[in-house]
Amino acid sequence: MASRVMNNYRHWPIHTTLVIVCILMLVPFYWVIKTSLTGENLFNYPPSILPQNPNPYYYVDAWYFVPFARFFLNSVIVASMTIVANLILNALAGYALTRHFAGKRVVILILLSSMMIPFQATIIPAYLITRDLGLLNTPLGLALPAFSHIVLIFVFKASFDAVPNSLIEAARIDGLSEWKIIYKIMLPLAKPAVATNIILSFIWSWNDFLWPLMIIRDVNMQTLPLGLSSFQSYFEDTTGSLYAFSVMVLAPGLLVFLLAQKAFIRGLTSGASKG
Amino acid sequence: MGTATPEDAISGALRRPRRPLIAKRRHRQFVLTYLFLIPALSIFLLYRLIPLGWNFVLSFQFWSPTKPAEFAGLVHYEEMFLFDDVFRVALKNTLIYMLTAPIGIAIALGLALLVNTEIKNRGLYRTLIFLSYPLMPVGVGIIWGWLYNEKVGLFNFVLRSLGIIDEPIAFLESFSTALAAVMTAAIWQILGFFMIILLTGLQNIPNHLYEAASIDGANRWRQFYRITLPLLRPAIFLCLIIGIIASFTSFDLIFVMTNGGPGRATELLITYIYKTAFQLGQFDYAGALTVVMFLLFVAIAALANILTGGDAGKVDIN
Repeated sequence: MASRVMNNYRHWPIHTTLVIVCILMLVPFYWVIKTSLTGENLFNYPPSILPQNPNPYYYVDAWYFVPFARFFLNSVIVASMTIVANLILNALAGYALTRHFAGKRVVILILLSSMMIPFQATIIPAYLITRDLGLLNTPLGLALPAFSHIVLIFVFKASFDAVPNSLIEAARIDGLSEWKIIYKIMLPLAKPAVATNIILSFIWSWNDFLWPLMIIRDVNMQTLPLGLSSFQSYFEDTTGSLYAFSVMVLAPGLLVFLLAQKAFIRGLTSGASKG
Repeated sequence: MGTATPEDAISGALRRPRRPLIAKRRHRQFVLTYLFLIPALSIFLLYRLIPLGWNFVLSFQFWSPTKPAEFAGLVHYEEMFLFDDVFRVALKNTLIYMLTAPIGIAIALGLALLVNTEIKNRGLYRTLIFLSYPLMPVGVGIIWGWLYNEKVGLFNFVLRSLGIIDEPIAFLESFSTALAAVMTAAIWQILGFFMIILLTGLQNIPNHLYEAASIDGANRWRQFYRITLPLLRPAIFLCLIIGIIASFTSFDLIFVMTNGGPGRATELLITYIYKTAFQLGQFDYAGALTVVMFLLFVAIAALANILTGGDAGKVDIN
């Protein structure tokens, strides 16, 4: 008991430091939400630290001013395509990589070297390829480059590696085809990997900005990040509405993250924990 | 390794006509394995490897969407290194901007050590510090632009209230502060990611090493330098690589907060490439810029690998 009290006593500098850090990390969140509710603008100096007369007016304003539902729908369509493609492509490739086959070293080399190529280092030909495929201005064109993420293939591989070989052999003897083995045995046993695939491919697709900026010309095809950046300039005098719109754009991604925090972090740390 | 090559499978089938079933099955398995790999591989071929090669070829050509390609030799590179002042500024800014990685990692290491202690609510602290990472960078740019606002921004208000400054600072509009201001926002966003990676690394260090060290009379600093840091190398390398990629590709924040301004004070290679290709239509020259950016990235990634112990790249291969 005494040692426990000692312990707690020793911990208070750590708590103090962490509380200060957390406050610093959260201030930007607070400030944007406060502004979205009070609509202070360039003529209100000094700004009030606490919200004065909070009202939802700016959210209503933003809703009518911006085709929010349209942008949201576009983002959802692109994200859904990306998620489904990632699940199928990464599960298949991850399963293939659990086996021994000729040329495996070459395949792994291709994957690892592709991982070292940032997408941004390929944007010009990627744009030209998408144009030649006739996919400019389409959701498929937006989603296609993100149809598979190498990190997520390895997340599936690691998870499949843990499935005992005897189980797979037994299934084969029972006459299950390879497709069915993946679908009926591997995927149900790899639920955490499935969750990680969904959440990471979702967030990456949802937040993507440079690629849509390059290939989308039509306002009706814009996703949320594009909508947010292009309407930034229209909102010069209506500060509250811009920040209300920002909150509306940021909230869904943040909500999904909070619901699937574990799967999200598991995916990010899968590279680190294997070292 | 006991691997069956297609040749094995086929010649096996020819040599042992009495056991065609196994050979056939092996052959089928081989085809099926590649059938599983091809969809994912074709995406990487189409959007990583082919573009990288194409981009390289493009950088030695005169080309625009309206005229056919013509061999240009090193003309673009010559122009870039000898005459293009914007390139030089963008290169310098990109190198400075990369400091977000080591600075962020240093802060995150401190935080990781703190949230790795046996304290109450550490899960909550971790979540709150991590919360900025999954945010949309475009949104981060807009929020921070508002915080930095010259007239009513929170930072100016706090600094003025505390008497640290007399006149408001236009953080994003002044040459001396704009780049540092954007970098601060970038560090704010990625800090939680670094912390989580380093935390995982810390948790992978076996506890008995510390016990042995303290029996041998090593104090906490010594333990940190002799055990924690060396064993954290793979995690630090991962953070460095991802941090460097993030700073090379930090297009969204710059685009929203300053669009490269004031003047070219926050122009990075990636924003310059975008403008050159998609606003000026000089795809060939932008291709050459991209080649330089990519080679620089590879060189710095290799350097990071050496600095963190040489074989840290192994993290990825397993």
